[in-house]
Amino acid sequence: MHMSNAKVINKVLTANRLRNGETVYYTPAGEWVLYVSQARVATTQEEADELAKIGAAAYAANLVIDVAVIDVTPGAEKKPSHIRELIRATGPTVRADLNKPITPPKK
Amino acid sequence: MYIYDKFDHAITSERVAEFSQQVTRRLAGELSEDQFRPLRLMNGLYLQLHAYMLRVAIPYGTLSTKQLRKLADIAKKYDRDYGHFTTRQNLQYNWIKLEQVPEILAELGSVEMHANQTSGNCIRNVTADQFAGVAGDEVEDPRIISEVIRQWSTFHPEFSFLPRKFKFAVTGAAKDRAAIQFHDIGIHIVKNDAGEIGYAVYVGGGMGRTPVVAPLIKPFVARHELLSYLEACLRVYNMHGRRDNIYKARIKILVRDLGPVEYARQVEEMWPLTRASGVDVPAAEVARIQAFFAPPVYETIKEPVAAFEESKKRDKAFANWVKNNVHPHKVPGYGAVTISLKPIGGIPGDASSAQMHQIADLSDKYSLGEVRVTHVQNLVLPNVKQADLFAVWQRLGEIGFAESNIGLITDIIACPGLDYCSLANARSIAIAQRLSEHFADVDRQHDIGSLQIKISGCINACGHHHAGHIGILGVDRAGQELYQLTLGGAGDETASIGTLIGPGFTSDDVVGAIDKVVETYRGLRQNAGETFIEAYRRVGPAPFKEALYGRR
Repeated sequence: MHMSNAKVINKVLTANRLRNGETVYYTPAGEWVLYVSQARVATTQEEADELAKIGAAAYAANLVIDVAVIDVTPGAEKKPSHIRELIRATGPTVRADLNKPITPPKK
Repeated sequence: MYIYDKFDHAITSERVAEFSQQVTRRLAGELSEDQFRPLRLMNGLYLQLHAYMLRVAIPYGTLSTKQLRKLADIAKKYDRDYGHFTTRQNLQYNWIKLEQVPEILAELGSVEMHANQTSGNCIRNVTADQFAGVAGDEVEDPRIISEVIRQWSTFHPEFSFLPRKFKFAVTGAAKDRAAIQFHDIGIHIVKNDAGEIGYAVYVGGGMGRTPVVAPLIKPFVARHELLSYLEACLRVYNMHGRRDNIYKARIKILVRDLGPVEYARQVEEMWPLTRASGVDVPAAEVARIQAFFAPPVYETIKEPVAAFEESKKRDKAFANWVKNNVHPHKVPGYGAVTISLKPIGGIPGDASSAQMHQIADLSDKYSLGEVRVTHVQNLVLPNVKQADLFAVWQRLGEIGFAESNIGLITDIIACPGLDYCSLANARSIAIAQRLSEHFADVDRQHDIGSLQIKISGCINACGHHHAGHIGILGVDRAGQELYQLTLGGAGDETASIGTLIGPGFTSDDVVGAIDKVVETYRGLRQNAGETFIEAYRRVGPAPFKEALYGRR
């Protein structure tokens, strides 16, 4: 399908895990993980709507709370575009010792 | 210190059991988030950016060392090894797991602590002068009526679902160290012409998006009638407060809209009904509570204390610390030490569990086992012998909390801001850290003198920016953090709201802007004794505007 008129978007689904409050992201495999780089990316509005539906279902199933579909940068890194979401993804900027990376650390 | 009786123990443990069940039901999916949210908030549990946050009540900012050690142990076991002391004299944990909250509440209960009513539209933790019981200018220890109010307001059925949250502050001294006029109700303990102790009641103050300095509603309420008067104040609010609009729901809006005179009239009209209800506390019960706050046994010490005077002469850094951080004590030979939780470049109000333990040890050794929390996010050792001050100062140096900056430009209030808080629009702590580093030089700080910077990361004003001599408000402008400056606020007995000085500054520029404000003040002060706020009140905003934005 020709998409030239569609706005370019890069969105991922995020929430906080109900039982422990961790900031998590929804993956292509349907899991909720800690690292935003592993998130499933929506590049069309239809895909973003689908993510929102998945989020609403996970909320209703009491897996997660505070569900949101957020903007990320294009490419592999998938860095959240807004500073609030960047801080959510990586931790308080004033406590480097408590930060987590965007991509999972190599084992 | 107040010690729980069987009723306190019973309601605290019953609440822990009740909330534990609610958590279990939530985790099992029997309660939805919509059903659970108001329940968790009533127990001080929020969801923030990275995790749940638990806000523990520290009634009127008074802690035993046993309680402080428990707070430290909880930080180590259930959080990430630190806690954050707040402007409500509470402690917040930032990395809490819902499934562990019942255990944490049980641990708190074991030392007569809890997180009840630290959120929700109810009467919140009462705050008070951190020098309660030791200040020389005190009419009466504010902890006595603070405790009376705590007991009255705990699980008060009529006031558990107010239009909005409700905050009390109490001061017993002429100098207001509790910012009482920025509270929903501020109580100033006074003596009337007949020498009787009573209460001046200010109603309808607050910060947030509509800052208001509370008007005096009743200059003197007799001791034995306080609760019926407060109940009348609350009842009028509960009936007429704006439940239709969250931004107009605080009592400050009601008092403003009715006018203080009409509000006071309605309270007077209500008062006979609340009086007749029998809510006022019998004198014997007040005396029982008062006994818990009886002064400890002090030694008889003659001033001057030679070793103390000698140490000050010998060590300029110690003398500076005494000048700024040691408050005169009503008992000769003693001092009240404010421990600065504002090390240069540090996070205002944060303490690690190790530091909390070390402070508890210090208090047991030198301050009769009590610690206070201030609304400026510092801690106090209220009862230190002057002869021990040098040793305390040295030990604080090892702990990392010996900065001699109380009341100075680096003694900054900062809310958690966008680094933690889900409501924030901009970071607060990072700005506080950079300002602290910029103004680190001790001699320069002393030259600048009394100057309070207060930073909020959003309009809710948890960082008290409206009451800052220099206030900083972080806002979001098209996804960028921007900082607006207000000048001329004050949270003491000369309470005033800061004036927005002009367009905001980027994160990169805000420290330079504050520097300009400070240098403008230094250039125009009449003498070294004229403080920033005095100078600002004399000259107004114009010279500062010109320094920041040029002539327009």
